[in-house]
Amino acid sequence: MASETTVPVLLPEPELAPPRRFRTLRDLLRKKIALLAIAYLAIFYACGLLAPFIAPYGLNDQQLTVETRLQPPSADHLLGTDRLGRDMLTRVLYSARTTVVFTIVIVISGGLFLGLGLGLLAGYRGGWVDTAIMRTGEVLSGMPTLILMLAITASFRGRINSWSFWLEDHTFLGDDSKTLVKFTIISLATVPFAWLGSSRIVRSQVLAIREQAYVTAAESLGATTPRILIRHVLPGVMPLFLVGLSSGMAGIAGAEVALSYLGLGIDEPAASFGNLIGDVNGTRFFEQYPYLLVAGAGPVILFLFSWNLLGDALVDVFDRRQNSHR
Amino acid sequence: MGPGLAGYIIRRLLWAIPVLFLISITVFAMLRLAPGSPIDAILGQRYTEEQAAVLRDKYGYDDPLPVQYVKYIGNLAQGDLGVSTRHRDFTASEIIWPKIWISTQLGLIALVIVFGLGIPVGVYAAMARGTFIDPLTIAFWLAIEAIPTFVLVTLTSWFFALKLGVIDLGYEGVWTPNMTVPVLVMSLPGVAGVARFMRASVIGVLGEDYIRTARAKGLKEQTIVLTHITRNALLPMITVIGLSLPGITTGSLFVEVGFGIPGIANESLQAVLAPDYDVILALVLFGATLFVLANVAIDILYGFIDPRVRVGAGRGQ
Repeated sequence: MASETTVPVLLPEPELAPPRRFRTLRDLLRKKIALLAIAYLAIFYACGLLAPFIAPYGLNDQQLTVETRLQPPSADHLLGTDRLGRDMLTRVLYSARTTVVFTIVIVISGGLFLGLGLGLLAGYRGGWVDTAIMRTGEVLSGMPTLILMLAITASFRGRINSWSFWLEDHTFLGDDSKTLVKFTIISLATVPFAWLGSSRIVRSQVLAIREQAYVTAAESLGATTPRILIRHVLPGVMPLFLVGLSSGMAGIAGAEVALSYLGLGIDEPAASFGNLIGDVNGTRFFEQYPYLLVAGAGPVILFLFSWNLLGDALVDVFDRRQNSHR
Repeated sequence: MGPGLAGYIIRRLLWAIPVLFLISITVFAMLRLAPGSPIDAILGQRYTEEQAAVLRDKYGYDDPLPVQYVKYIGNLAQGDLGVSTRHRDFTASEIIWPKIWISTQLGLIALVIVFGLGIPVGVYAAMARGTFIDPLTIAFWLAIEAIPTFVLVTLTSWFFALKLGVIDLGYEGVWTPNMTVPVLVMSLPGVAGVARFMRASVIGVLGEDYIRTARAKGLKEQTIVLTHITRNALLPMITVIGLSLPGITTGSLFVEVGFGIPGIANESLQAVLAPDYDVILALVLFGATLFVLANVAIDILYGFIDPRVRVGAGRGQ
């Protein structure tokens, strides 16, 4: 918008733009922060996926003696042991697995399937389809999310046993059935709220792209709607969609941690960060065994922080690219 | 306020009705079809079938679901939110309004802090862009945002109550010193979002011609930042403030539970766990309605503040 021709440049350029070396320093730091975030996320995801192979102990190896319970970090147990004498590092790794699998499941179902799908549909079809989708999303995003999630999880709670017993009897899952059922329930509670932000971004992008000449050209050449959407609209939508998705990741992962903390998500015998944090029950307990909270909360806080940083950096980079187009 | 705007508002409000119906039907069905009922919560572990039958009859749980729903909506249309089963002999209204008031006061204080801190931080970061101060400032607040509330509650209550002993953890009223820490825990994680938005807004304004003109006129930097940059950058902030207004009424669950505040989030959790059908429905519908109204209000407000975006004028629909 600030065109160089209409306003004569009265001030020397350095007054307008920050000195060059600062800008490079800032860009470097920016990039370094983003790089650090990406590196941490990569490690976290690798640890989560490989948890059963790299964990030093079994997830539920208990050692119920005074010398082995609630021990501070040592060479044997790098992050100490919990009140049942289980290795904290092992539990942290398995918790990371819960977080990793959960974020992947929600990104695919809530982000890709619902967010991208409904956004494309609303933007391209327009009319009442658009209005219905967007108004529903608007109201859903204004609801007390956590309370609704609680209502959903609580209403399924009474069925956990019957469902998991059925699964145990009829499938190969065995002992994992209960965890799978709980996992499904928190996913069902999160998905209705996971598509709201991304579908709005996708829709507005589609609205802009739809008016482009190449889309009109494809339409007049008789291309089918799915073809136009996938070949012509989608590539333009993806960058901003990914930016929006990465900004929402911390919220998605945080939802599982919060539900598990309340005892409505993943709990024993499986591991979740919410569960580890919930084990640190009260301030007196924390004062006595601070390392339990550090071990249980630290990795996941860094995980959420990394997603926040990455999302922020991506938004920034994208903003700048858009500004330079003007 | 032309006919276009009025029509637009009416359309928006009309759209809210089917959405609210859909929400109420979904939540209603979800609650009734779930195992566990208020009867168990009232009578406890052991009870006779006769006792249960009396209560089911009293609350009308024996009717078919559609009949129950129609009755509920009929009462709702007359302003009757139903009865609480967790607090017996109280109506849902008697339970929720005082608690909503407690949460709203705390939420309002927190909102003032969030924007009171977030806006200056955002302007500061934007003006410092190009230096390392900008990313570090934002990163600091993003780090605060990343700490789950229940961890913050544990850390702050340990530090301020146990270690320093400057506050008590009991609730004695909203406007007491004890509420300082809970309010801070509610507000500090929100600063990052506001700051980032404000920062982007300021950077957008910085490229405008009138800023260059102001600089060319030789105005003091302070004047430019305050009157030219900040004021214009605040305009998009209206949406953010408006959209966060309904949220202050719902309270912060972990803060209320952690600090023993008898607010609405605390009640919601208990209502969900009980379950207390009418109270849950009342809370959900209250939240949804408020949000719809806030959205419409923002649209109207925008029309007054910035005539360029007046709806209905250039929408071409």
